[in-house]
Amino acid sequence: MSASPASVSSLRRDWSKHVVILFFILISLFPLYMMLEVSFKDNATFVRNPWLPTNPMSWHWENWSFAFHLIVPYIANTVFVAVTGTACSLFLAILGAYFFARHRLPFSGILWAGFLALMLMPSVVNITPLFMVLKSLKLLNTLWALVLVGVAAGQVFNIFVLRNFIEDLPRDLFEAAEMDGASHLQQVFTIVIPMSGPIIGTLAILSFLGMWNDFLLPLIVLRDQDLFTLGVGLIYLDGEYVKQWGQIMAAYFVASIPLLVLFFFTMRLFVRGLSAGALKG
Amino acid sequence: MAAPLSRQKLLREWKLYFFIVPSLAMVLAFVYYPAASAIYHSFFEWAGGDTRHWIGLDNFTRAFHDKVLMGSFLTVSILVIFNLFQMIPSILLAVLIHRLRSDRWQFIYRVLLVIPMIVPGLVTLFIWKFFFDPSLGVLNSLLDATGMKDVLVSLDHVFGWGVFFANAPIAWLSQPALILPSLFIWGFPWIGVVGVLIFLAGLQSIGQDIYEAAELDGVGPFKKFLYIEFPLILTQMRLNLVLLIIGTVGGYGLQLELLDIYGGPGGRGMVPGLWMYNRAFFNGEFGYACAIGMILFAFILLLTFVNNRYVRVDK
Repeated sequence: MSASPASVSSLRRDWSKHVVILFFILISLFPLYMMLEVSFKDNATFVRNPWLPTNPMSWHWENWSFAFHLIVPYIANTVFVAVTGTACSLFLAILGAYFFARHRLPFSGILWAGFLALMLMPSVVNITPLFMVLKSLKLLNTLWALVLVGVAAGQVFNIFVLRNFIEDLPRDLFEAAEMDGASHLQQVFTIVIPMSGPIIGTLAILSFLGMWNDFLLPLIVLRDQDLFTLGVGLIYLDGEYVKQWGQIMAAYFVASIPLLVLFFFTMRLFVRGLSAGALKG
Repeated sequence: MAAPLSRQKLLREWKLYFFIVPSLAMVLAFVYYPAASAIYHSFFEWAGGDTRHWIGLDNFTRAFHDKVLMGSFLTVSILVIFNLFQMIPSILLAVLIHRLRSDRWQFIYRVLLVIPMIVPGLVTLFIWKFFFDPSLGVLNSLLDATGMKDVLVSLDHVFGWGVFFANAPIAWLSQPALILPSLFIWGFPWIGVVGVLIFLAGLQSIGQDIYEAAELDGVGPFKKFLYIEFPLILTQMRLNLVLLIIGTVGGYGLQLELLDIYGGPGGRGMVPGLWMYNRAFFNGEFGYACAIGMILFAFILLLTFVNNRYVRVDK
């Protein structure tokens, strides 16, 4: 932190605000602290001293190796679902948005209204028949079910945002590309995708988070333990009778690592993506 | 807005329809078809197999006499009212961050604010379940350490709740009377990251010069909020409220994981979504579950409508 006179004086004048803000932020971060601190203890140590970290010499690293063995396969499944789902979802949404943004073809108005109507529909209402659809498509107990439903669920919002964005791109670019004989697909790859990097990144983070955090759908779709995503895996862990809190907390922390990594690399996009999530209403 | 095409150009551009086909197919298969199927099956007795019996409106009459379902709508209405209170810390936090004079600190706090988002939602849920644990949980240790428990016990004597006892740990998630309070406390201080960021976006148009002018006029912090910030974030408050309400009314993950498929002891935490899930996947009454879904959908539409109609914000 630089100690320029201006920032020091602003700190002095704003100290009461800083105190309140820090109070809230520290409480929000408290679960993270507990997770990390308890993950190095066994149950006996935890009961004796629930609050403070123990001496690093007596840390129970075996909690972490247990957690890694347990959670890494779940993470792999979840990464597969979230990455494939996000990529497919955005690619289809870009094509769809391009369709709506470039020309007004017959029926595009009706199609647009059809897409917008979906915004009114809360997805919970659908979960029962959705299960039946997946069953009849023989998709139960597969990761593809999660990918496909995730892609479908993301279409409306992504197309909505991308359409507005593509319409605001300079028209000359498309016309010039057409002069050069570029097909629509080429225009998507050479104009739309390169020019909408930040917005695609923002949307990607949003849909990634959505699929990463979902556990209600995986809970009814997945049966084999090999296929469990994080959501189902953690519920399974919670259901055990004798709880080794150290192991459980280590597992929770390991489950948070992928997003931690993502967060460090895309901090700005992350913050902006979440603000953009507001548009969802 | 793209212009309509001439007939000649249309003949050249028809291939563009292929661009919408994949999206459309996905949405039709996994959103529209299930929705239509839900409407259709809500008129049937259906266990999920090939056999189904047309029973007309019986599922709906049954639903309106279903005590659990009606109770769950009451519970979810209480949870919606909780939402109103739970929004306050987010507003406070956003206003405070925005009032900071240093841009650097504003950015640092924004980042710190987002960090809890890396924890999967389910993990946050389970950690809270652990906080609520009667003997090991953080909440009871905190209440014991600060003497708040004694206060609660003496209040219990005065009001005769029969909930808090001096010689037993507080059974947060296992005592029926404490289920709703637990669902309220859950997630304290209820900082919705998305909510705070929405509010911050709404506050963006207030520059530091406005605050300085207000200070010169001797306007206090609360009046500043009332006259400067509050009018500007009304739209965002409504938006945030709509998001919270839709999430609360339709959601059941929280109740499913904190409690169980019966909404915890005494079913005090039962919400409509959970009952729908329970009927479909634990009782095989898919037709009835579809009917519950329809009623829930109507309820959400009604709430959205009321919100648009009466919480109008003039911009």
